Amino acid sequence: MKLAVVLVLLVVGSIIFHFVSPWWFTPLASNWGSIDFTINLTFWVTGFVFIAVNLFLAYAVYKFRHDKNRKALYEPENQKLEGWLTAITTLGVISLLAPGLVVWNDFVSVPEEADVIEVVGQQWQWGFRYPGKDGKLGDSDSRHVSMENPLGIDPTDEAGQDDIIVLEHEIHLPIDRPVKTLLRSKDVLHDFAVPQFRVKMDLIPGTVSYLWFTPTVDGTFDILCMELCGIAHHAMRGKIVVESVEKYTEWLSTKPTFAETQNGGKGDPIAGQASFAVCGSCHGQQGEGNMAMNAPQLSGQSPWYLRRQLHNYKNGLRGTHKDDIPGQQMASMAAMLQDDVAIKNVVAYIDSLSAPTPSSTFEGDPEHGKSLYVTCGSCHGKQGQGKFSLGAPKLAGMQDWYLKRQINNFKTGLRGVHKKDNYGSQMILMARMLSSDEAVDDVVSYINTL
Amino acid sequence: MSYVAIADQVSELHDPQSFITKYVWSQDHKVIAIQYGTTAVLVGLVALVLSGLMRLQLGFPDTFDFIDPNSYLQFVTMHGMIMVIYLLTALLLGGFGNYLIPLMVGARDMVFPFLNMLSYWSYLLSVIILMASFFVPGGPTGAGWTLYPPQAILPGTPGADWGIILMLVSLGVFIVAFTMGGLNYVTTVLQARARGMTLMRMPLSIWGIFVATILGLLAFPALLVSAVMMMFDKVLATSFFMPALVSLGEHSETVGGSPVLFQHLFWFFGHPEVYIVALPAFGMVSDVLSVHARKNIFGYRMMVWAIVAIGGLSFVVWAHHMYVSGMNPTFGFFFATTTLIIAVPTAIKVYNWVLTLWRGNIHMTIPMIFAIGFIFTFTHGGLTGLFLGNVVIDLPLSDTYFVVAHFHMVMGVSPILVLFAAIYHWFPLASGRMFNERLGQLHFWFTFLGTYAVYLPMHYLGFLGVPRRYFAMGNTDFIPESAQTLNSGITVAALIVGLAQIFFIVNIIISIRGGRKCDKNPWNAASLEWLTPDMPPHHGNWGKTLPEVHRWAYDYSVPGAKDDFIPQTTPESEVVKENT
Amino acid sequence: MATEETSTVAKTGSGWQSLVSDWSEDKQTFEIHWGKLMMWIFLLGDTFIFTVFLTGYMNVRMSAVDAWPNPSQVFALTLFGTHLPLILIAIMTFVLITSSGTMAMAVNFGYRRDKTKTMVLMLATAALGVMFVSMQVFEWSKLISEGVRPWANPFGAAQFGSTFFMITGFHGLHVSIGVIYLTIVAIKVKKGHYDKKGYEIVEITGLYWHFVDLVWVFIFAFFYLW
Ligand code: HEA
Ligand code: HEA
Ligand code: CUA
Ligand SMILES: [Cu+2]
Repeated sequence: MKLAVVLVLLVVGSIIFHFVSPWWFTPLASNWGSIDFTINLTFWVTGFVFIAVNLFLAYAVYKFRHDKNRKALYEPENQKLEGWLTAITTLGVISLLAPGLVVWNDFVSVPEEADVIEVVGQQWQWGFRYPGKDGKLGDSDSRHVSMENPLGIDPTDEAGQDDIIVLEHEIHLPIDRPVKTLLRSKDVLHDFAVPQFRVKMDLIPGTVSYLWFTPTVDGTFDILCMELCGIAHHAMRGKIVVESVEKYTEWLSTKPTFAETQNGGKGDPIAGQASFAVCGSCHGQQGEGNMAMNAPQLSGQSPWYLRRQLHNYKNGLRGTHKDDIPGQQMASMAAMLQDDVAIKNVVAYIDSLSAPTPSSTFEGDPEHGKSLYVTCGSCHGKQGQGKFSLGAPKLAGMQDWYLKRQINNFKTGLRGVHKKDNYGSQMILMARMLSSDEAVDDVVSYINTL
Repeated sequence: MSYVAIADQVSELHDPQSFITKYVWSQDHKVIAIQYGTTAVLVGLVALVLSGLMRLQLGFPDTFDFIDPNSYLQFVTMHGMIMVIYLLTALLLGGFGNYLIPLMVGARDMVFPFLNMLSYWSYLLSVIILMASFFVPGGPTGAGWTLYPPQAILPGTPGADWGIILMLVSLGVFIVAFTMGGLNYVTTVLQARARGMTLMRMPLSIWGIFVATILGLLAFPALLVSAVMMMFDKVLATSFFMPALVSLGEHSETVGGSPVLFQHLFWFFGHPEVYIVALPAFGMVSDVLSVHARKNIFGYRMMVWAIVAIGGLSFVVWAHHMYVSGMNPTFGFFFATTTLIIAVPTAIKVYNWVLTLWRGNIHMTIPMIFAIGFIFTFTHGGLTGLFLGNVVIDLPLSDTYFVVAHFHMVMGVSPILVLFAAIYHWFPLASGRMFNERLGQLHFWFTFLGTYAVYLPMHYLGFLGVPRRYFAMGNTDFIPESAQTLNSGITVAALIVGLAQIFFIVNIIISIRGGRKCDKNPWNAASLEWLTPDMPPHHGNWGKTLPEVHRWAYDYSVPGAKDDFIPQTTPESEVVKENT
Repeated sequence: MATEETSTVAKTGSGWQSLVSDWSEDKQTFEIHWGKLMMWIFLLGDTFIFTVFLTGYMNVRMSAVDAWPNPSQVFALTLFGTHLPLILIAIMTFVLITSSGTMAMAVNFGYRRDKTKTMVLMLATAALGVMFVSMQVFEWSKLISEGVRPWANPFGAAQFGSTFFMITGFHGLHVSIGVIYLTIVAIKVKKGHYDKKGYEIVEITGLYWHFVDLVWVFIFAFFYLW
């Protein structure tokens, strides 16, 4: 009795929940309306079955509840009835499957005219490659992967030279043009998924998988990694900007070709020394840092990281938040370095300086910090030595007060919020695991011991 | 040649005397069943606590220091693995299989009791190894219960050095344990039935357990082999599943391996596995429904064929877990078709359960309400399966919370409800006492309503596109803030349900000692297990002579008969007629 | 009346259904000793294990990037100055097949309750098994000395070593277990342990042993002839 009522209420409740819930598919932004159609079809068919079966169940439970002077009907089987039910169900299933297979057929067969782009996954970054003028992607192999060639493109392959390399997590696509994305991974399984496009496919190391879609709406869409790929799986994000062909081609023209990325020379320390004089006034002539001036130690930090940060300051990816006073100072300083060459030089000079080991400025519980650091270590290295391949800077031997402030900046959104700052946005997600100030102190004090 | 069918053998029983042989190194299927059951429930509780921790993180991110991405993934993995293998598989087959088979087919024990005992002790060992992985450096593996390589054995994944090894070893031991038990269950069902107990007179519980065990015996090999191969890859740096790759900047030595091969092997085991936990539940729920509705199970023969068909089909659908794995997408056509075909036999079962209630005389006992709850949740979960099975729909939904919701609906609550139904249903038989009605009621309402409150909303997170195995969602431009509120709601519900299990545990504990002594066959059931000379049944089950079976297990409310049930052992001549 | 009809649920119907009902007969399904059936079922599962092993083998062999070593070179042996490809394997296979013969005879004498002969033949079988394993050990050490390792080998694709050691190792394990099993049963036979129980056990042991031989034939075909 009670149960019968509850069953009815549950059915009704589920229906109500469905209609009031604001949680439903995000608006479609690709050609895959047909997928949405099959979903809705399935939803209504199964929804009907759900309601029918359970209301019938509830009714039976209510109608035939115990009554001592009624005897249950003795009916071993009723083949006619069972036959009918089987037939109807079969029809129901066919009505669901048939459209599904038709749409799948579309998905499997990629249109001839589709543009091809390549998506490369690695823990826990996205990389992208456009075919360039010749319209062909050059060969690639994980054997070629190196600091200068993160996508592992075959340097000897002509077709590869003009390929356009995009290493920030944001790519642009022209609207209303079908795209075929070739998917490949450098390390483990990943999954390239864009909810608004309704498509996803795994990236597998050693093989190339694919999917295709036609973006139909202007705007920015999230790329999520949907195959478990380790600790920062949830922080492996990217963006797709869909825009007019003009804007798209303009954007693409600003990106370097593979050949261009290969001839980046080393900086010149002598030239760098001159410009460093200014920096030295805050950071110290040995780049040892100066807490009073909020200027962190520079010597000992990996050059590639310093270069990236100087670019970030220069291009407004960092030091723009109104509450980030030191950041703003630094941004204005970085502006004085004219171009990439200047940056390379000054970094080359800093690289030549000898790094002192800073003294700790506050107390924490390294033991607790150690356990917290397990997560950090998978990117920054067990010894905090930093890992270029993950874009994770050196932490060991850096000043604790600075580390602490940066972690808090990430947590409070003073740093890493800029759309283009993909490493920053990742760090935001990771920093959140240090929910209390103690936790921050502890982990930093552990890093100090490395 | 000189041998006698077991049912015809004269058995000389020498009951074990000492406490040890009786309760510890026991070869009595009933004791082994209890040992299996308790162990399984205890690890189940561990998995339950883990799920609580996961929910805390998901519901209230950035609040708990002790949960970081590392430990979160470990919780998820251990939660899933324990629940599926070490709780459900062990409890349904090792527990109920052991307890019910000999009693329901009219045998004195399993055909090979010693092997049966070994089975339990190996299972215990596997559990201990599994639990040990919580204490090794790096902790348990966090590769997800699917343990996909390369990630499972590479740095960057929790427990990639010790945790994964222990997990693989533990699985290996578990498979050995299962095989030893499984051989017993199958052989006992086939060869040791009582006189008159034809296969087509067996209760559906036995059919479910029987077919599930066969599935296990044929599916676990795939897991065993893939575990061995992964072990090689991990320990000997071989390249079964490992292509040439660059892990966290390090070039690997491995070359030419195929990660997808592992997925095929895993799911060739994995899909039958989900039916291994479903079929016994299907069987037992059928019996519970029939007894408490005082009505024969509707369409018995169809039910049997459905079980067999589902069992068979479950070996040709595995790649529906791999639609988006990057395998050749044309496989999708085949596997989508086979997958949806399974809906038909399953549908038949659902219909027949409902039709069993139809024109019955339903007693709303505790086992019964759990059973009815099962019909509801399973229908829901099964139907969501049709979304995922239809390959294009899986495209947006795969690896989102919709999948999580689907399998919790079909596996995370349905078989669990049946487990509880079965525990309450056979508790009097095993203990000779009645459980506490009120606590049972509380337990049902909290668990049934609570779990629905947990899982229904998850589907909608899935529709939104919220991915599974995410430590934190962070900000995206398509997930509204309200999703977080929903998550918190789910968490609260989950914690309540989790705590509500206390009702169950308390109930069992107090009832075993203090429960009201109940007379034989309290539910007036017709099947053999209730017809033992003494209750709870003694060693050897049947005293001097084995029972003789004259009818199927479902003669309830037979027209013309006086009582509303006719025990299986009653010959036609002795049926008490209605005095008209 | 109703009960009649249902109490014989299985018996009703005709054609394939009645076939089913014969099969689902009273008491026991197959007219054989339960132990034998249990062994059959176990072997079925074991078959799956080896099938998966060999499927995996084929898969990696096809997906392997480097060339696959040529068996007739790798497994060649130089006896008395003459270079004989696959000679060792030929002998091993022969030994194993012979052991099947002795086993079959043992089963026979078992049913004739000729304890001594049974025991002797079983021990002979075990001995042949030991021979096989020791030859395998020899081959392993030869390959290892030539630098074949699970993770690499001088002849070509690394997967060759991994699959070879894994699968032959797993089979060798089966043989070794079989040897122990045989010895135990043989001794018990002699002790007259089975006079009351009956001598199916010998046949059951035989089933296992023949299976192990059969598997070897496949491994042989896959590794040495392909
Ligand atoms: C008890 C366990 C159980 C059961 C019974 C099922 C039953 C089914 N499952 Fe489920 N499934 C899991 C456990 C289970 N599943 C698990 C654990 C996973 C996730 C593993 C992981 O990735 O971690 C999973 C994942 C999973 C996937 C992969 C999703 C993905 O990863 O992308 C798919 C896809 O096809 C699927 C399909 C189905 C289907 C079609 C059924 C069918 O058998 C359902 C049939 C039942 C019904 C259909 C309802 C009753 C029918 C009627 C009332 C008739 C009316 C119907 C019509 C008229 C149409 N399941
Ligand atoms: C039987 C299987 C089972 C069961 C019962 C549960 C129960 C629960 N599960 Fe679990 N879950 C899985 C199987 C199961 N789960 C699997 C396979 C995965 C995938 C792992 C992976 O991705 O690798 C998963 C993943 C998973 C996730 C996804 C994590 C992620 O992807 O990030 C979540 C999130 O909310 C979750 C939550 C819960 C909750 C709140 C419960 C419950 O607490 C809800 C309440 C249910 C009960 C209270 C009944 C519990 C009863 C017992 C456990 C029996 C033992 C105890 C007694 C007998 C008293 N589970
Ligand atoms: Cu990359 Cu998850
Ligand atoms: Cu499945």
